[in-house]
Amino acid sequence: MSWRVGVDTGGTFTDVCLYDDESKAIVVGKISSTPADPGRAVRDGVSALIARVVGADEAGGAMGRIDYFAHGTTVATNALLQGRGARTGLITSAGFRDLLELGRQRRPKLYDLEAQKPVALAPRDLRIEVAERVRYDGTVDTPLDLEEVRAAAVSLREAGVEAVSVCFLYSYLNPAHESAVRAVLEEELPGVFLSISHEVLPEFREYERLSTVIINSFIGPVMEGYLSRLRHGLAADGLRVEPKVTQSNGGVMSFVTAEKMPVRTVLSGPSTGVVGAARLSAQSGIDDIITFDMGGTSSDVALVTDARPTSATGMDLDGRPVRAPMLDINTVGAGGGSIAWIDDGGHLKVGPQSAGADPGPACYGRGTTEPTVTDANVVLGILNQESLLGGAMPIDASLSFAAVERLGARLGMSTLDTAQGIISVVTANMARAIRVISVQRGYDPADYALVAFGGAGPLHSARLAHELGMERTIIPQRPGALSALGMLMTDLRSDYTRTSITLVAPEQIPVFASTFDALSAQARDWFDAEGLAEGDRSLRWVLDVRYVGQNYEIGVEVPVEEVTEEWIALVAARFHSAHEKRYGYSTTSERVEAATFRVEAIGDAPQAAFPREPIVGADATAAVIGDRDVYLPEAGRRVSVPLYARDELRAGNIVTGPAVIEQYDTTALVLPGEEAVVDEYLMIVTRPSRGSDPSVAVASDERILSTKGQSE
Amino acid sequence: MSATASELTPVQVEVIGSALESICDEMGEALVKTSYSPNIKERRDCTTGIFNAGGELLAQAEHIPMHLGSLMGIVNAITDRYALEDIRDGDSFVGNDPHIGGGTHLPDIVLVTPIFVEGALAGWATNLAHHSDYAERGHEHIFQEGLRIPPVRFLRDWTYVPEVMDLILTNMQVPAERVADFNAQVAANRLGVARFREISEKYGPATIEAAGQELLDYTERKVRAGIREVPNGRYRFSDTFDCNELDEQLQLSVVMTVSDEHLDFEFTAPEQVRASINMVETALLATVYYAAKTVVGPDIPANGGLGRAISVSAPRGSVLNCVAPAAVNGRIQLCQRVVDLVHGALADAVPSRVIAASNGAVTGTQFSGTDPRTGRYYVYLETIGGGYGAGCAYDGLDGVQAHMTNTSNLPVEALESEYPLFVERYALIDGSGGEGEHRGGMGIHRQVRVEHDDCQCEVGMSRMLSRPWGLLGGTAGQSARLEKNGVVVPTGDVVHLSRGDSISAITAGGGGYGDPANRPKDVVLRDLREERIDSSTAERIYGVTNDENSGGAA
Repeated sequence: MSWRVGVDTGGTFTDVCLYDDESKAIVVGKISSTPADPGRAVRDGVSALIARVVGADEAGGAMGRIDYFAHGTTVATNALLQGRGARTGLITSAGFRDLLELGRQRRPKLYDLEAQKPVALAPRDLRIEVAERVRYDGTVDTPLDLEEVRAAAVSLREAGVEAVSVCFLYSYLNPAHESAVRAVLEEELPGVFLSISHEVLPEFREYERLSTVIINSFIGPVMEGYLSRLRHGLAADGLRVEPKVTQSNGGVMSFVTAEKMPVRTVLSGPSTGVVGAARLSAQSGIDDIITFDMGGTSSDVALVTDARPTSATGMDLDGRPVRAPMLDINTVGAGGGSIAWIDDGGHLKVGPQSAGADPGPACYGRGTTEPTVTDANVVLGILNQESLLGGAMPIDASLSFAAVERLGARLGMSTLDTAQGIISVVTANMARAIRVISVQRGYDPADYALVAFGGAGPLHSARLAHELGMERTIIPQRPGALSALGMLMTDLRSDYTRTSITLVAPEQIPVFASTFDALSAQARDWFDAEGLAEGDRSLRWVLDVRYVGQNYEIGVEVPVEEVTEEWIALVAARFHSAHEKRYGYSTTSERVEAATFRVEAIGDAPQAAFPREPIVGADATAAVIGDRDVYLPEAGRRVSVPLYARDELRAGNIVTGPAVIEQYDTTALVLPGEEAVVDEYLMIVTRPSRGSDPSVAVASDERILSTKGQSE
Repeated sequence: MSATASELTPVQVEVIGSALESICDEMGEALVKTSYSPNIKERRDCTTGIFNAGGELLAQAEHIPMHLGSLMGIVNAITDRYALEDIRDGDSFVGNDPHIGGGTHLPDIVLVTPIFVEGALAGWATNLAHHSDYAERGHEHIFQEGLRIPPVRFLRDWTYVPEVMDLILTNMQVPAERVADFNAQVAANRLGVARFREISEKYGPATIEAAGQELLDYTERKVRAGIREVPNGRYRFSDTFDCNELDEQLQLSVVMTVSDEHLDFEFTAPEQVRASINMVETALLATVYYAAKTVVGPDIPANGGLGRAISVSAPRGSVLNCVAPAAVNGRIQLCQRVVDLVHGALADAVPSRVIAASNGAVTGTQFSGTDPRTGRYYVYLETIGGGYGAGCAYDGLDGVQAHMTNTSNLPVEALESEYPLFVERYALIDGSGGEGEHRGGMGIHRQVRVEHDDCQCEVGMSRMLSRPWGLLGGTAGQSARLEKNGVVVPTGDVVHLSRGDSISAITAGGGGYGDPANRPKDVVLRDLREERIDSSTAERIYGVTNDENSGGAA
């Protein structure tokens, strides 16, 4: 009898999910986060949940029953965003100490004279140049001066640094100089956190590599301290397994690995939500989804094809480039707390300013006078007009009406039209964010289902899907705890990369073979270190490919097998078709080259499997708990629509729109002309209504929900 | 579904405006990511835009402010030459000529594609890319500067018109790069056409048309609202302009008149010169619109409504409003000075909303020659930023591209693999920012060694004989200079280099803002510790002595 536990630390709450392997039961707990020491809420939350499961008397020693423990944390990201990281030094090639500030020379905003560049995480007086230079082909132009290195180490020690980065030009081609510096630093600076650029990111483009390695240094000591304290604390509580932490790529790694490579965790939280949504949808037979996680201040969106989230190689975080394996998640400043306003040209705008959770929307009565997205939903009648969070949060709807009315008066629009206008504008903002990760990458949202989670996701998913031409939306059973749940469904994963610009041609077969072999060997070492059985190991090979002369690559998956002429031809063919898909043309006569080699090592973690509920029939009337007057622009007036309790909906139930479905952590709107079907995993899937007798539609049972492109 | 302007809601306009900007962004990404020349793929020296059927710019991707000048009037230049019934789906037009229409200098080549919806002309997808070619040309007049391309049909049925392509390529020094970049430009416009059609189908062509008109009106209203916050009056400002091509300095001045919701700029400037720095009228307009927008509303959409409340005049035949056959290749140097003039005039009216002078140039070095590793001829342009002017709330940014441009640099690790060049230094210049309560940004020292003989380096620089001014007690930033092997290079636009020679572009610092006496001591000590200023400056200008540094650094 064993358990799996996932813990996701968010800004307001820490969510804990416990899954019992035997009974397949899931228990979810929520505890207030403890930002000063986030580990406290993690330990307290787990203890409390266990006590709830087995009773307080049995709780002692019960931690030993956990055989898998995964944790998503924002400690690294917060340290970075709040500038509360380590005192960081840098050793770099002669002539380049200012590269960190120069970046790509671009100013942050084109027309804003006051826009600021991000503060350099290693201050100028702690950036030291040493004589050394490698050339573009990996040969040495200027040998490394070890005396200078030693002097630099001494002065950094005297300056009291807690972390040091080393970043030399072309270290991804020839790491010898960086390795020699590491040896000196280990002698001279014991206990100081070291980040070496060819170890953190052996890829070309010196500024992006430098920025990444500096971020690793800056957040390194904070993350190392946090994870090791938590690791020991959990062990003291009785945890017997090695805890895992989620990475930006959606996989997990051991605490010990994360302590060395914290930069790989910057998207730890949102990425597990994406993985969770992907797994739950795949379980229900829907493999192509767009995830839509809408909270109080922002929305995160991501594309999942064939149940696999789209990967990215980097992002800009607060103006600083981070290159690390990560999911392609786009964030837009549109949440329930986003404030609606009129700009000086007379246009209605929503966000990015947000009232957040405190003071919160106008209806919270804590002083906000401008209407938020939540207030618009209150006015329209989609949200409960007395209280939110299942009654836990009383609200004053009259404040929402007053705020929206004031805005409407300035626009010359009725209160209801203004409220609907706020929804339209915020929907357009979110649709634009989704176009970036779909249309701009060559994928049509119409081929995908929209999976809505986060507190505000299901409120807006119906209209958002409509805006994007998407037919189906999915609302998971626990939209508020999807990240914690996702941790029970992720793989172990580690990525190995190396830049080696190589023509995709038969004469280069030895280069392709040896580079992939070397990276795969690193992956196998990691499998061994993680103690994974042979049968649980798998590798993916990905090549970043471009036409000779281009500078942006497209990632192409290649077979993990002996490199042959056919293999080479396959790489080129896959690249031409990917280029065609993404940019609308390909040039098969042009030569193709690989820039970066990537090996993804995936270790199967034991995964939660959820029980299927028996299909009981289409009739959902047992779940009706009342009705609500909702303004529907389709009708041009308020319409009385039935209100359903999510917890009372059973597998097979069909809710015909218009309808509102309420649950503790969210509210969902089903539009007229659509219907919501509850599947055997208690996921809600909405689709265009089949019009006729609902019992006919459900007769063909769960396959309806699992066939792609099922529209009539 | 269709609507007239009066039936449109502000919500619909906002939603359609957002979609149009999204189209421009997507076109821009396609252009950057599929092009071959480093100037476009890494430095992003390109811009995309969507026009309505009548040739008014509806949306532009935020890349390079200067490029607005090239987009202005391009569609009308095409419709002046081609009858509407001769323009059809699958056509595209090309142009680059500043004097005829569709350019502010010859390397910026514009590609314009009509968009037909339901058989009717509904708009134009447009993009501009700076083709890094035209090496070692002269700059006495425009005929020396490269091939002039009037607005002509370049594609029919999505296929290049072979004789036009042939004519263009014959006049280019790196034709292979040109073809690949043209392909990227075509791909970007095709995407724009497809996306525009999608939104037309969704909302109806009449609604899109009406929303487009409203977007232009909206921009106009926002500009007027911004101008209302500037006190009425007449404001004057003068400055000098120097560059490496001229021995003498040019005297420039402006009178700005603010009357309620209108801004008028009247420039005086010397006659056009036999050098590359002349500006055509569209370059002047784009520059003034940029400078005004930074003050009256940075978030105002850059579309055709921008100029409705702003009038601009400069003597015809002067360097600011030149006529054929003036050379214009280096016009951006002078454009940067025009921004300083506009901000200088606005400083008297709204001192807290402008910044001191920035480095005042787009320092350019264009290397060309034969790469000994491949035997191939190459042309490589790099532009180097400098100090940004300080403002009332912040220090000037150190080492950035200012105002009319915002190109990226090419990573050293890409540059040295592609070209026979070796970057020896890329650094901020200690002490180069002007002093003040807020310090001016620091200039850049970029030192490149050439690894082959017979290398020609064409240079564009300014602020060598003057310094970027400070505001309200702030002092001027340091001047720029060019060095070859550590020795200052005198005036001239081409430097001949041999294997092993190093050339250093040393760019100007930005002006300071406010009385240096008001700069907090801890900030002065930080600058001192970080070697952004020296101890003598700390003591002499800020009254902070070095002894205090030991306490401050701990």
